[in-house]
Amino acid sequence: MKEKTKNKVVVFTFILILFAILIANIAKKDEEISMTERRKLTQFPKITFEKIVNGKTSEELDNYTVDQFIFRDTFRSIKSFWSNYIYRQKDNNGLFLKDGKIYKIEYPLKEANIKKSAEKIKNIYDKYLNQDMKIYYSLIPDKNNYLESDHLKINAQDVQDILQNTLPQMKYIDITKDLKLEDYYNTDLHWKQENLKEVVSTLEKEMKLKDTSNINYDIEDLGDFYGAYYGQLGMQVIPDRIKILTNKTIQNLIVYNFETSKNEKVYNIEKMKKSSDKYDVFLSGATALIQINNPNGPEGKELLLFRDSFGSSLAPLLIENYQKITLIDLRYISSSILNQYVKFEKQDVLFLYNTLILNQNVLK
Amino acid sequence: MVFSSITFLFYFLPITLAIYYIVPKKCKNLVLLIASFIFYFFGEPTYVILMAFSIAITYIFGILIDKYKKYRKLFLIIAISISLGLLVYFKYANFIIQNINLWLKNQIDFIYVALPIGISFYTFQMLSYLVDVYRGDVKVQKNILKLATYVSLFPQLIAGPIVRYKSIEDQLENRTHTMQKFALGVRRFIIGLSKKVLIANCLGELANTFLASKEMSILYYWLYGISAMLQIYFDFSGYSDMAIGLGKMFGFEFLENFNYPYIAKSITDFWRRWHISLSSWFRDYVYIPLGGNRTTKIKWLRNIMIVWLLTGLWHGAAWNFIIWGLYFGILLIIEKLFLGKFLEKMPKIFSHIYVLILVMISFIIFNGKNTVQIMQNIGGLVGIGGIPLITPESLYYLKSYITIIIVGIVASTPLIKNIVSSKKFEKITNTLEPIFLISLLIICTSYIVDGSFNPFLYFRF
Repeated sequence: MKEKTKNKVVVFTFILILFAILIANIAKKDEEISMTERRKLTQFPKITFEKIVNGKTSEELDNYTVDQFIFRDTFRSIKSFWSNYIYRQKDNNGLFLKDGKIYKIEYPLKEANIKKSAEKIKNIYDKYLNQDMKIYYSLIPDKNNYLESDHLKINAQDVQDILQNTLPQMKYIDITKDLKLEDYYNTDLHWKQENLKEVVSTLEKEMKLKDTSNINYDIEDLGDFYGAYYGQLGMQVIPDRIKILTNKTIQNLIVYNFETSKNEKVYNIEKMKKSSDKYDVFLSGATALIQINNPNGPEGKELLLFRDSFGSSLAPLLIENYQKITLIDLRYISSSILNQYVKFEKQDVLFLYNTLILNQNVLK
Repeated sequence: MVFSSITFLFYFLPITLAIYYIVPKKCKNLVLLIASFIFYFFGEPTYVILMAFSIAITYIFGILIDKYKKYRKLFLIIAISISLGLLVYFKYANFIIQNINLWLKNQIDFIYVALPIGISFYTFQMLSYLVDVYRGDVKVQKNILKLATYVSLFPQLIAGPIVRYKSIEDQLENRTHTMQKFALGVRRFIIGLSKKVLIANCLGELANTFLASKEMSILYYWLYGISAMLQIYFDFSGYSDMAIGLGKMFGFEFLENFNYPYIAKSITDFWRRWHISLSSWFRDYVYIPLGGNRTTKIKWLRNIMIVWLLTGLWHGAAWNFIIWGLYFGILLIIEKLFLGKFLEKMPKIFSHIYVLILVMISFIIFNGKNTVQIMQNIGGLVGIGGIPLITPESLYYLKSYITIIIVGIVASTPLIKNIVSSKKFEKITNTLEPIFLISLLIICTSYIVDGSFNPFLYFRF
């Protein structure tokens, strides 16, 4: 190509791209949420004199133009591709892809945060729990824990050591050996309900419950599942399948949601269809306080499950041993007001948390 | 507004270019002036008034200096005092108060004032104009719109280069717009944008990760030193490239601001290649008027130290910048007195290593928040404090950023430029260049859209 032609090509392409994107961005209808990133997108700001003067309008316009950019997801994929394959970076915004699975780096281990989380558990123990109760706690390792690689990760054993030092009065149940990499979704942080058999067995054994390993479940496949990490990474990865375990007992359960004051189903298919996060199928997603009632469960047997989102898929598999399971998510309800909703008597109590939650100190 | 933003790239720039090329020639400066004020207003809504005031003062005193020759010195002193007074007030007042308070029982209250972006750049441009009018080196500009266009010209307004009025005086009146110039502008702009977004921002992320970490090792300190050194070069030179490129798109030719400083063979050579517009400004308006080197040895050394003290202060109102400036002043004196000759005789590799290590240390000082941090970050390079050689974290980040560091090192040398400009490869490079440039633009856009780390390093200048 001659110099003159090259110059023309450079100029015309540059101008074309600038104007095509300008026009496309103006013509494009603003979107309210990003399904892939699972967040609300910035809308065109309200412009006031005060906001113009203090520079807020400029900042909001910058955020708006980035969030509403045409083909935003495609551009994010290009960035991810460049970072991963050209720059060979070990992670992109803290996420990385290995053998078709997406991982998120949580590092370093924040000892102070884990201690604070453990202190909150201890406060509940001191304030509400009594000697008639059987009290346990367990730790769900992040899936990075099972990955053999040089990526930075928190060692679940270190978290466990801190917890055991802070909570000597409670019994620790080790489920780390019952989990493998395959037990977690490829595109999400959570575990797969259909792979929790060994975890359930260990819990039953340690909590001296009836062995339910002979109970049969039907596995229902609810379709493709693009987990939380999928959108954050912005790369093409084969989606997971979301599956639920069901049987007659589970179908007959009544789930009471304290927030909505309504009865719901264990598996909320309707909500899953509407939600950007299909994991919401389990007990309708994030809820501060929820109760599963098993009319055919052993009389008077009750479990208080202090949990994060991992607990939603596990709880239905523990219900054969209980008449009632109350799930408490301390990220959404303060422990100081718990006695207004829960009567602490002589239930079994299980604190079950993922290492990420403890490391981020998000319990209230 | 920053160049590496969607608002600038895909709203401000195309609209400004369209209007600029549609309007007749006589209106082009006015379009640039309005665009520049909007550009500045977007980032500094209130301080746009301060800039307008400074321009008006410069305009009035320029005319007074030119008209009343007898009092020109007085007018120059008044004009400089006002311009520098504003700079001192907005940039250095709290630093001065902070240091006075160290000696006072009754503490002086700090003033609540934010630093107007670009004030150091446009103040120095206006000072050069006033001094040049005083010296009779340039004709006074009687059209305030043209003078305002010069001062506020958005490509160079907030991060330089410090364009001298002398160098664009004619271009303000009459400049050419050609396809070739525009294409060169596009090329330069995209390369600058890539330097900023694809190298500087990525390495800035690594530097920030290091600063937040508690798991130190010798390797990590070196990673930080190298990444900080590359980050600041690619950030600053990238911004200058974008400014020069945008200037070309609007018909201007700005002087070069960087010339591969990391291939320098001495610190003296480094400063001939780094932020050329600033070092030449200090040379012409401070060093030479003080007597330069045509004076006694003591005064000569004093002159060097004054210039470097001011250079340090220009970069920011904090002690680390003063130390940074004086550090270079001392190194330059050592080179001028005896080391320079020795360096010339040394094998090239040693002189390069000498420059790179001293410059890396300089940027550790430049980035330091306090003396303790600076000493830690320098001491860590040689393992002071009994730190390990390698930790899993430092090894992880070495693996994660090694490609970007290599890209940065190669791009700091003229290697690619030499290959691209070789006649042998002309046909291939001509064909590949448009594809390469457009790909870079798309990749940079993807990084900006992703909301990746995009700091603005010039707020303190």
